[in-house]
Amino acid sequence: MVVFENVSFTYKNGEQKNGIYDINLSIGKGEVVVLCGESGCGKTTITRLINGLIPNYYEGSLSGQVLLGGRVVHTMPIYETAKIVGSVFQNPRSQFFNVDTTSEIAFGCENMGLPEKEIEKRIKDTIIDFKIETLMDRNIFHLSGGEKQKVACASVYADMPDIFVLDEPSSNLDAASIEELRRIIGIWKSRGKTIIIAEHRLYYLRELADQLIYLKDGRIENEFSAERIKNITAQSLSEMGLRALKLEELKGRERSFVEKVECLHLYDFFFSYKNGYQAMAIEQLQIPKNTVIAVVGENGAGKSTFARCLCGLEKRCNGVLENSGTIYKRRKRLKSCYMVMQDVNHQLFAESVLDEVLLGMDKKDVGKAENILESLDLLQLKNLHPMSLSGGQKQRVAIAGAIASKREIIVFDEPTSGLDLLHMKEVSVNIDRLCQMGKTVFIISHDLELIFECCTQVLYFKKGNAEGPYPLDVKEERKLISFFEINNYETMQGVN
Amino acid sequence: MKEQPSQSLPANAYLNLDPRTKLFLLLIISTIMISGEIRGMALYARLVLAAIPFVLLILGRRAKAAAIYAILFAAAWLAEAFLIYNTKGIANIVIVMLSGLISRFVPCVIMGYYTISTTRVSEFLAAMERMRFPRNITIPIAVMFRFFPTIAEESHSIDNAMKMRGIGARSFVGNPAVALEYRLVPLLMSVVKIGDELSASALTRGLGGPEKRTNVCKIGFGAWDAAFASLAVSAAVFYFVSLGG
Amino acid sequence: MSNKLNTKDLINIGIFTAIYFAVFYVTGMIGYIPICEVLVPLLLPLVTGIPFMLFLTKIDKFGMVTIMGIIVSLILFATGHSWLVMAVGIPCAVIADLILKSGEYKSWRKIIVGFCIFSEWIMGAMLPMWIMRDAYFDRIRAGYGDEYTDTLMSLMSGWMIAVMALMVVVGGIAGAYIGRSTLKRHFERAGIA
Repeated sequence: MVVFENVSFTYKNGEQKNGIYDINLSIGKGEVVVLCGESGCGKTTITRLINGLIPNYYEGSLSGQVLLGGRVVHTMPIYETAKIVGSVFQNPRSQFFNVDTTSEIAFGCENMGLPEKEIEKRIKDTIIDFKIETLMDRNIFHLSGGEKQKVACASVYADMPDIFVLDEPSSNLDAASIEELRRIIGIWKSRGKTIIIAEHRLYYLRELADQLIYLKDGRIENEFSAERIKNITAQSLSEMGLRALKLEELKGRERSFVEKVECLHLYDFFFSYKNGYQAMAIEQLQIPKNTVIAVVGENGAGKSTFARCLCGLEKRCNGVLENSGTIYKRRKRLKSCYMVMQDVNHQLFAESVLDEVLLGMDKKDVGKAENILESLDLLQLKNLHPMSLSGGQKQRVAIAGAIASKREIIVFDEPTSGLDLLHMKEVSVNIDRLCQMGKTVFIISHDLELIFECCTQVLYFKKGNAEGPYPLDVKEERKLISFFEINNYETMQGVN
Repeated sequence: MKEQPSQSLPANAYLNLDPRTKLFLLLIISTIMISGEIRGMALYARLVLAAIPFVLLILGRRAKAAAIYAILFAAAWLAEAFLIYNTKGIANIVIVMLSGLISRFVPCVIMGYYTISTTRVSEFLAAMERMRFPRNITIPIAVMFRFFPTIAEESHSIDNAMKMRGIGARSFVGNPAVALEYRLVPLLMSVVKIGDELSASALTRGLGGPEKRTNVCKIGFGAWDAAFASLAVSAAVFYFVSLGG
Repeated sequence: MSNKLNTKDLINIGIFTAIYFAVFYVTGMIGYIPICEVLVPLLLPLVTGIPFMLFLTKIDKFGMVTIMGIIVSLILFATGHSWLVMAVGIPCAVIADLILKSGEYKSWRKIIVGFCIFSEWIMGAMLPMWIMRDAYFDRIRAGYGDEYTDTLMSLMSGWMIAVMALMVVVGGIAGAYIGRSTLKRHFERAGIA
């Protein structure tokens, strides 16, 4: 179905990613193929060659050819390719052309000029197949991340392509939504569709994949058939720079727990939305100081609300933080908590990295700022514009800002979504460093591997209520793993 | 107001006008109301036209908005009819200006509010396609509406970041140019990036192909459209005729 | 590169029109504070300079500014302004586009001129005030006589329109320079200009 013949490609500006070289692939009809590798290995580039974005959107030099069912992709106009290939991307927020869900499902068909009756039929069929009646006719902006991704998948399905291409579709999803995604891919597979997925998170695809292709520096290094996939050891995964295949095999590192430790006391953290819905109700919390606390829970359980209220960003929350006898009400908390946001782009304002760090200081001290940059391996970038850096570098700039602000409490909101093993470990190292500086660090995360790397406490959020925090010892680790696993993958038999 | 209040009518609304009718009513109401004659019979024509948004709001189950509008307009109308002759000096000027402004512009604004808040984006687009607007206009309009909520979301998040870093309202007083930059630059960067991703995504869903787009959104003229349109037209004709006479 | 607007261009036009609209709408709210209303013609071009300058770097084809102008005027009409806003805004947008095109969207002088002309749509939104004003004066003349009316008229004379149109130009020039400065210091260095 999909054939790559000696394909090489390099991007025109060289700005984005590295190219791919001498790719030869053959994917049969109905197969599910997973492309994996470190960041920059070329897996996204391959997906773009399949759905026609290369060369129609991304320019560069291409040699060799990509064939879809015998037709050469780069000679087809992209609206023709769109009829055979459906694409689902990483970030739900930039996939939707419409504001309401029903229109979005009809969108691709409308573009193809299909007759109205046909489109209506497809919409009906899609709703039934995906069980999404409750999501119809709704404002997309009011949906959760998982729901958005579900609608995106359904919309592409309604176009009835033969081939599906997904680029890191699970990046921004929580455990429950990933399970839904897995189910949807299973449905597609059972309908005989050919599916190619570029991914970091491998565990949810373990049972579905027919082939696992490992890429390194733009070349195919290794190919695993379905049988061999089951036998890959955690060690070789780590060597390849890949994320875990089996969550239940994860182990945290050795930790020592200090018995009596000073605590931060939180009182009366309540928050309700304007329509009355109560998103968070915490009477009391004792948080051990100078620890790294994982904040876990399903989407909508109140984790982000907690983070915003803690940092003093929500006017309607009148909770109180007490630290060694000092009371911190909302305004004071605004000055004593620092948040590294999920989208770091929202918190970078200055013209240069150095200015960015200075921005956070009450008394501008260039020498000190440069020291901070040095410790984060950013000094050589000090005159560059923050927005010109890579994602990981930007995050480090934000962390530099946190250190410069001298604030004691630091909150990270999903710092590792979409990151490969290497970069996730880098983040973990930096978080460790913050802890060593005496800070108390909260990490909101769905990334179990990150939590095991650097967290020492776990705080569970369920429907606005907080449980814990519990020290992350071996027993707690088991509990955490089962909290994350909605279904036991070992007993998964086939799909659908 | 950066949010796009593009919710459709509640399911139990009594009527749903075609978007084109709403635009037509807007045209007539704004033209007549703003030229603002209150002498003679023209007065009644204006009253009828002012009543149209009120009725629409009631029928659209937005009683609260209708009530506010009615009170505001009635107050302005009465002030124009009586108070301006009974007051002098500064008070007179203020009253005349205020009542004049309200009685002329509020009906238009309310009609506009009704139009925007009761028309779904897809209905708007379908109407434009029926009116044979070229794709060069319909696609940007669709994208624009789709981006308003995104701009609101990104903006809110950037706001939070500014508050958190302590560069919010305080710095505006010191240096407004810098504050403008802080507000706009991250927003523009973010939105442009989302826009690029959206373009790629739209291409993979076949936008830009040569076939004529179909649209599953159902719009069309009905009895209500005819009723309101003729009412408005009659009022307009009456207005101009009585001016000429 | 062809001169026809492709899908990516149209999407960009939509995005920047959304930003332009959002920015001026929020700024325009200042006009609700009684005295500040007169500042609006100056402020709007000033703040919209930044997004507009970035917009000009994204596309180089005729139609980009025209379409933006058409859409802005159309939406303003749909929110309750009179059709005058379209009657003024659309021709301004077309002329601006032609001027910009003649400079390949790169000539700095032409960019300033084009932006100022484009921004004059604001006058279309403010004209109804003047039309209303004339009707108002007719009426009070009937009630108060010529002397009173003439005094009042001299206070709010027609040259106010000229002043406001000039304020748009001043704001436009300032906005263009602010926009260019922001472009150089931020957007170009970040790689998105």
